[in-house]
Amino acid sequence: MTALVARPERVRLAGQRHQATVVTHQRLMLIMLLFLGVTAAVVLRIGYLALFSDGAARGGAANALLPARGDIVDRNGQPLARSIDAWTIGVHPAKIIGDREEIAVRLARLMPERSAAEYLEILTSGRTFQFLRRRALPELVAAVNAIGEPGLAFDREPDRLYPQAGLGAHVLGWTDIDGHGAAGMEKVLDAALTDPARRGAPTALAIDSRVQAAMESELAAAMTSLQAIGATGVVLDVRTGELLALASLPAYNPNAAGRFALDTRFNRATMGVYELGSTFKPITVAAAMEAGVIKSLGQRYDAAHAVAVGRFRINDSHPIGRSITIPEMLIHSSNIVTARISDQMGAERMAHAFRQLGFDEPAHVELPEKGRTLWPGDWGRATIMNTGFGHGIAVTPLHLATAYATLVNGGVWRPATLMKLGPDQVPRGRRVYSEETSARMRQMLRLIVTEGTGKKAEAPGYRVGGKTGTAEKPKDGGYARKSLVSTFAAAFPMDDPRYVVIAMLDEPKGNAETFGIATAGWTAAPVVSKVVSRIGPLLGVLPDERRDVDVSDLMPLIWKAKGAR
Amino acid sequence: MKPAQFLPAPVAQLPWRMLFLVMAIAGFGLVVLYSAAGGSVTPWALNQGVRFGFFFAVAVALSRVPERWFRDAAFPAYALFLLLLFVVEAVGFVGKGAQRWIDLGFIRLQPSEFMKIGVVLAVARFYDLLPAGEIRRWTAIWPAGLLISVPVVLVMLQPDLGTSLMIMGGGVIVMFLAGLPLRLFVGSALAGAAAIPFAYFFLLHEYQRKRVTIFLEPEADPLGAGYHITQSKIAIGSGGVFGKGFLQGTQSHLDYLPEGHTDFVFATMAEEWGLLGGLPLILGFVLLLRWGMGVAMRAETRFGRLTAAGLTNTIFLYFSINLLMVMGLAPVVGIPLPLFSFGGSAMMTVMFCLGILMSIDRASSLSLRW
Repeated sequence: MTALVARPERVRLAGQRHQATVVTHQRLMLIMLLFLGVTAAVVLRIGYLALFSDGAARGGAANALLPARGDIVDRNGQPLARSIDAWTIGVHPAKIIGDREEIAVRLARLMPERSAAEYLEILTSGRTFQFLRRRALPELVAAVNAIGEPGLAFDREPDRLYPQAGLGAHVLGWTDIDGHGAAGMEKVLDAALTDPARRGAPTALAIDSRVQAAMESELAAAMTSLQAIGATGVVLDVRTGELLALASLPAYNPNAAGRFALDTRFNRATMGVYELGSTFKPITVAAAMEAGVIKSLGQRYDAAHAVAVGRFRINDSHPIGRSITIPEMLIHSSNIVTARISDQMGAERMAHAFRQLGFDEPAHVELPEKGRTLWPGDWGRATIMNTGFGHGIAVTPLHLATAYATLVNGGVWRPATLMKLGPDQVPRGRRVYSEETSARMRQMLRLIVTEGTGKKAEAPGYRVGGKTGTAEKPKDGGYARKSLVSTFAAAFPMDDPRYVVIAMLDEPKGNAETFGIATAGWTAAPVVSKVVSRIGPLLGVLPDERRDVDVSDLMPLIWKAKGAR
Repeated sequence: MKPAQFLPAPVAQLPWRMLFLVMAIAGFGLVVLYSAAGGSVTPWALNQGVRFGFFFAVAVALSRVPERWFRDAAFPAYALFLLLLFVVEAVGFVGKGAQRWIDLGFIRLQPSEFMKIGVVLAVARFYDLLPAGEIRRWTAIWPAGLLISVPVVLVMLQPDLGTSLMIMGGGVIVMFLAGLPLRLFVGSALAGAAAIPFAYFFLLHEYQRKRVTIFLEPEADPLGAGYHITQSKIAIGSGGVFGKGFLQGTQSHLDYLPEGHTDFVFATMAEEWGLLGGLPLILGFVLLLRWGMGVAMRAETRFGRLTAAGLTNTIFLYFSINLLMVMGLAPVVGIPLPLFSFGGSAMMTVMFCLGILMSIDRASSLSLRW
């Protein structure tokens, strides 16, 4: 009986023990699953952190040194625009602890751009945040911090600094409050400057800041002494199309572009279109030589009688009173003769000549600020004659610069560029004039400076050649006699041209020095002379009094009064 | 398996594959400590190397101790450790803001470390003694619960949240393995989840509460208490796949990463070695844990089985809590990465665990042989 009872008891005990072992093994497996699960979570997490954590953390120290926006430098590596960490001062009006009225008074004392009342209004507005000053100086930040108000907040933000202030302002443009390019090359290059892969290295422009500075200072001096309302200047490499200087005055300071009048942001060199007057005459002559209208430079035209077309009469500013050769026409800047040549050319060939130079479309340059040219709608006989000496057609000074580069560089037109070009990046361009025509133009442009209206553009030793252009500004359907646009378009050294230099003054008034004369020969030409003397040495053009273009074959074509030089 | 003839049998019988794994993990740790010190064996790598050598010898010695000695010593040892915990409360040495040490002059004892092992041994011993039929009764629960909760509360008072959680985890796992009804654990887990808000507001210290808040939202205070996690994640992230290279880490060398040689040593390593260092290290621990679970599977006695699993779990808790913490998946609770972090306590505990595991393994293989 007892045995019968005891036996199942023992069996049951053994069974329970076995059962316990099975349970333990099952649970061991469960725990191992837990181990695996946690380990898998850890592995996934470390993989995620290693592969997908944010860029700032990934690049580590190297990324911290990368500017938010790449630097812009000139062709020699001088910084024109760079990124800095600027201080900002802001306020959390809701978090202010101290006496608002007192804080307002102290803020007004430190930052007088707002009155104490205005500050008080901000402090009591209940807004979450407002900037009080961006790009604050560290001293100011320290002074505001000394107020000791926790509701005032200071932070760093990347900001754009233009260390040369207004230098090349219209080329550079500026950036908006979010650090994106709003105008000029800052806008053009926006994608490249913010690209993390490229922004570490500076972007080089074609501009030479020394040349730009020389141009700006000479233009500014002339503008002041001649009371002009504006001025613009271009220095262009005739072999590559690179712009070493592109100046427009009055200028603004890109560090605070918003504080300058709208007028100062207007780029006269690429956006302003002007009737550039007699500077067009060499273009007309070159086109006529290409077209076969001028077969010989000794070809004579009657300059004694005005040309009548419809109800207009085309006259010269000073009567010549005889027939003259082509070089004489350029030296004396005869409207009458140019009109006769243009007339011979006819509408089609004249329009073609201007189209080849791109005068029918906005200037070829990277800048977004480009003006549409005023292209004649109807090529009647009067238009043809007028365009020959630069009236009835309006282009930008940059158009003129590329056209002159084409005239003197052997006849190849290239687009202008603000980007520094490597030797293999220079565009091939397109041929507009023959080498022969170009060589003749070099001789004649030089003669205008040595013998003609451009004498004041001469820079001793630099063999300057160029053409004056004085145009009256269109006004109320006619022309304003006293509002002139005086331009001098030049190139140097004329025996082997390297650079085109354009200087233009908008509404200069004559002064004592110019005997009251405001024409280009007296206003713009001296600017070119001074600029060339300043930039020639910088650009490696050696002044040499013994070298010059050989013009001996043209000298017999120029009549001189007995006793004259 | 034929042991090599020229080795004495006790040496040849050691589980060398596991021991080499441990040496590899610790060796890698020394390399990282060398780099964290800026390419110097002082102050950490040399110290740590000597300590590892010492505790390695202790572990091998423990492996020669018969399993039944541990079984018999389980309760007395538990009682001793509990007494030490009380002593700490009374005359404890205040280090790092928490009262955890007994300074004996030549060594600082941290009884809570011993208690991690003590609880596992005691609870395993309790279920070893418990008749199999009692397992579903109330008597199977409350003594074990008491064995666990007393040290947990004492350590929590020190205050040391991480260690008290580890002691609790070690004990509860043994209860789970002993075969208590599953619904008990599921129910407790639910009750625990419900109790979290209560614990958060009434049991945790201010700084512990802060750590939990920061765990949930580390960017809320990136320069304050969230700094650890943020910098650690930056270090791991900047290591990427291939790392920055040996001695090239900036987070640790420039002292961005606090505790870069102790609790956050994994981040220091990951910055310089990337995934190529991190994944093999994790694999190393996984293999170590697999070996420990294998010991538990093979164990012949109930005590051996429960103890082996419990101790393996202790190693696992170190490993997982540390990595989850370093990667921002768990609050910062101050648990080092065993064998890898600079510091003696965790290394001592883990090497003791491995020694006892080897002893249990030896017992089962002996019984198999005979």
